[in-house]
Amino acid sequence: MVTRLRRFSTNSVTKVAAFILTVLILTGLAEMALYIYFRDMDLQRIFTDDYFDSREFADLMGKAAAEAGEALLSGELPGNVPYHYYISDGSKELTNVENPDRSFFEQFEPAFCALENGQWHLKSKSSFPYSSRYTFKLSVSEVLKKSNTIYIAYPKEYTKAQEQEWTQGRAVVIRLVTAAAVGAILAVILAIYLAAVTGRKPDDRELHPGRIDSVYSDILIAVLCFLALAWYLLAFSAFETGPYDRGVLTAYHKGTLAVFGIITLSVTALCGMIVLALIRKIKAGTLIKHSLIYKFLYRIYDYAVSLFDGRAFSKYPLTRSLFYRQLIFIILSFVFVFLTFVFMLAGSLAFIIPPVLEAVVIYWYVKGNNRTYMDINRGFNESLEEQMKSERMKVALITNVSHDLKTPLTSIISYIDLLSKEDLPESARDYVRILGEKAGRLNNMVSDLFDLAKSTSGSMPVDIDKLDLKKLIEQTLADMGDRIENSGLVFRVRLPENPMLIFADGKKLYRVFQNVIDNALKYSLQGTRVYISLEETEGMAVATVKNTAGYEMDFTAEEILQRFARGDKSRTSEGSGLGLSIAESFTRLCGGRFRVDIDGDLFKVTVSFNIAQ
Amino acid sequence: MDNTAIYSGVARTDKARILVVDDDREIAMAVEKLLAREGFDVIKAYDGMQALEALAANQVHLILLDIMMPKLDGLSATMKIRESRNIPIIIISAKSEDSDKILGLSMGADDYVTKPFNPLELVARVKSQLRRYMHLGDIANGQKSSVLRTGGLCLDTDAKQLTVDGEPVKLTAKEYKILELLMSKPGVVFSAEQIYEAVWKEVPYSVENTVMVHIRRIREKIEINPKEPKYLKVVWGIGYKIEKI
Repeated sequence: MVTRLRRFSTNSVTKVAAFILTVLILTGLAEMALYIYFRDMDLQRIFTDDYFDSREFADLMGKAAAEAGEALLSGELPGNVPYHYYISDGSKELTNVENPDRSFFEQFEPAFCALENGQWHLKSKSSFPYSSRYTFKLSVSEVLKKSNTIYIAYPKEYTKAQEQEWTQGRAVVIRLVTAAAVGAILAVILAIYLAAVTGRKPDDRELHPGRIDSVYSDILIAVLCFLALAWYLLAFSAFETGPYDRGVLTAYHKGTLAVFGIITLSVTALCGMIVLALIRKIKAGTLIKHSLIYKFLYRIYDYAVSLFDGRAFSKYPLTRSLFYRQLIFIILSFVFVFLTFVFMLAGSLAFIIPPVLEAVVIYWYVKGNNRTYMDINRGFNESLEEQMKSERMKVALITNVSHDLKTPLTSIISYIDLLSKEDLPESARDYVRILGEKAGRLNNMVSDLFDLAKSTSGSMPVDIDKLDLKKLIEQTLADMGDRIENSGLVFRVRLPENPMLIFADGKKLYRVFQNVIDNALKYSLQGTRVYISLEETEGMAVATVKNTAGYEMDFTAEEILQRFARGDKSRTSEGSGLGLSIAESFTRLCGGRFRVDIDGDLFKVTVSFNIAQ
Repeated sequence: MDNTAIYSGVARTDKARILVVDDDREIAMAVEKLLAREGFDVIKAYDGMQALEALAANQVHLILLDIMMPKLDGLSATMKIRESRNIPIIIISAKSEDSDKILGLSMGADDYVTKPFNPLELVARVKSQLRRYMHLGDIANGQKSSVLRTGGLCLDTDAKQLTVDGEPVKLTAKEYKILELLMSKPGVVFSAEQIYEAVWKEVPYSVENTVMVHIRRIREKIEINPKEPKYLKVVWGIGYKIEKI
């Protein structure tokens, strides 16, 4: 049962319905208030059940009395009036009844009033004169002369009609007010219900934030205040600009009511949503924390705290002392400047003291800072030296290992050569030949390996010069001319007419193109073409070597540049497998870019350099 | 010169006595065998001090010297030897940097071979140095203005004859003209266009390949190891030159 109720109460349809209902009720209440005002319905009628005690009746009597007073002064009759009167200033008498006796008038109680001996007499409970509209005329001293006498009474038929009208009006007001009260109570209950269920869903006990909950609380509150203020000003003007002739609804009134209603409806809906969002935030405990002001203040607080708990300097421990020193310096300087002014204004000679102290502080500040800077410098130098040392060790390692590998290789190669000159059986001669080939390959690998190691460790000297890339490619091709002719491949070379000047190390760049063309010679499919081109693209000299691989390239462009990567996995052909790695490393060493693209069987190497100005 | 006096005792290069210095005994022995096979007389030493002693005790015509050795290293030994002697010194070292080579040659060595070396190349270099040493007398005597000389290269412009370490080398007409142009200004880089214009006497157009092919042929004729030329060098992306030695 409880769960079912909960399911129902947290259902979004229920919630939306309740929300709409609440908004409608609130709008209705506002409209009602404006309507009551426009109809000039006196709410006092609710608490007065007798017409003769009402404000309206008091006004009716007051009006008659005032008119009578005026007639007394002017000596002219008020004309055709709905009441009986007797007006006398002691000598002259004005009346509209045949027998102007007090007892005649008294029979119309309580619709009777009298002025006798300078005093107004009123039988009804109403606090006559009630309305200020008539008070002035009633209290004029000429009217209040002792010789003056006034009797006024409304005939029974007239007051009866008035009473009937009044009672009808009272019933309307009571109905309206009762409806308003019921509506208000309903609205309060609905509001409490909404506040309770907002953010809840039937399926779980979590608090679900709404769509506008991501807006900062203070912004929500500001919008709420703005809306409320705007609505208040609108309502004020709606009440204010109401026409004087109340009690009757004109088209203008109806228009005002309609516009006011629509605006109130939207404002209430918006405000309602904002209030619910704020309530959800309160429930989640994020009302304060999720606000701009909090965030801003927290940021400041956090920064201030971080300065003192050391967090701000955790990365730069040396700057902490710099900061404190600076802080103390600034504060002390302020104090000294302030004191100097104070002393000067006081005309005291003591104004000399703060500047002297300031000088001491400046000395302390500069001295301390210099010490810190020295510490920083030392640390920096130490780390630099450390780095240099490790770099030197790396280079030394490469050199030593290189020497240690080359020395035994020298013996091997030399003795193989000696052995080959010996008189050996045919099979042994074959073995020696194989040994010789492998020793030669080992030699190539070792020297390639050290070239690569040196170039990547940055210990290889580079001799950068301005050179013509076109010429270099031509020279390389001519240098490798024999091998190209014997390769069975067709070389299609497309070079520009004019020189392509770049800055590079010619020897290294020759190795680059030698290795790249060598790669094309080794791995191209027999009878295919190798395309070599050089062109200028966006201020770059771009050289490309394209060939068709003679085997399936099941590796990526990155993998082929890895050390020792070889296109053919069997690794039987000669070469160290370092050719392209060396080419890449050397290109970078010269300040160029080296790129490999593989597209199906197409293998493409691009070497690009900035064109020298 | 006393050098010529020493050398006058040796009529042929293959009777020369060679001092091999290397702290690695196996290498020293291998080199000994390689040279002995060519008919040279070889003495071995295993460090710099021994080398100096052997040099003092024997009549030596050429020294093969390792750099990294105990007691006295190869570079110091070279300097010591150069204080009194003018015999050819070939350094054999595992140090293969250009800077190492330049350092060795500037210390007074005549050639620099990197380990591991090609045995044939080593023998060729030894022979070449010995030939030059033998012809030193001629050079000293005949300082003719018509002879262009760079290291072991000697181009007689009158006789149109090139000798490398005293050995005559045959060149084609174009090869000769190219070499003459380059040797007239050793160390100066000539572009392919300049060479073509001077040699072919035609307007150069797309001549890089033609010139380079000729250069390659000349190198094969005058260099012991054309891949690591000593005299005729390609300045990549710029041109060609004869090294000034």
